[in-house]
Amino acid sequence: MLSLVSLFLVGCTNEQTVEISDMSNDEEERAEIEAMIKDTEEVQTGTTILVEDDVLIAIQVKPWLGFKERKIEAKLQKEIEEKYPDLNVLVSSDYKMLWESQKLLEEEDEKKVSDEVKKLKDLAKEET
Amino acid sequence: MDPQEYQQIEQQNTPPTPYLKNALKAFLVGGIICAIGQAITFLYIIFFDFTDKTAGNATVATMVFISMVLTGLGLYRKLGAFAGAGSAVPVTGFGNAVVSAAIEGKTEGLVLGVGGNMFKLAGSVILFGVGSAFFIALIKLILVSMGVVEW
Repeated sequence: MLSLVSLFLVGCTNEQTVEISDMSNDEEERAEIEAMIKDTEEVQTGTTILVEDDVLIAIQVKPWLGFKERKIEAKLQKEIEEKYPDLNVLVSSDYKMLWESQKLLEEEDEKKVSDEVKKLKDLAKEET
Repeated sequence: MDPQEYQQIEQQNTPPTPYLKNALKAFLVGGIICAIGQAITFLYIIFFDFTDKTAGNATVATMVFISMVLTGLGLYRKLGAFAGAGSAVPVTGFGNAVVSAAIEGKTEGLVLGVGGNMFKLAGSVILFGVGSAFFIALIKLILVSMGVVEW
């Protein structure tokens, strides 16, 4: 019983995992976006796909902050858009985005990644 | 024997309702049903092109369909007898209410029996659901146009 409880508690560590794809050539840009996500304390996991002018940032907020998900999403989106006005940014807390972007992290083919990111951005617009 | 006396005797003889046990059963079964629903949501998100926002509708439809099939096979009744509200409150209870009412009216014919009875129980759910959704949307529209909240 005690070991079970400790197992549950271990699952709730506040460690952030932020991953970012290697597609982009701009090293500085990458580091800065990574830092921005890390600075947002509410984010638990963040996966960023940088391809051409498109940026897809999939985040999952910390447990119990689910109700503020949308606000955190909008805040980060605004921050990054202000810093890089010429980039096409989408910050999403949707699970689909996280799942697909995790797969894209290992993808080598730039064309494929670009297509997939465009598809995901279209998907995010769907309402029903 | 006057009515009060009768009531006293009746109360003495009825076994006590196991409220705690019933609540626990309902909690467990309701939780399991919701966990299945969550699993179906993840299934749609992972294997099909659904997002968190759009997977909800498909999940509800699937859950209602499953409970309808189970009702037709007579299995949902057993679950309902065991779990009570735990099986009636989730959306699966809605499918059960539609199909069981339809089965009940089968002997009276296809139109007046099945058609007339189908929404006997679920009809009020649909009516009040649509009605309250309309009024909530109206309130939100007023609040948005006044600039209090955003969409």
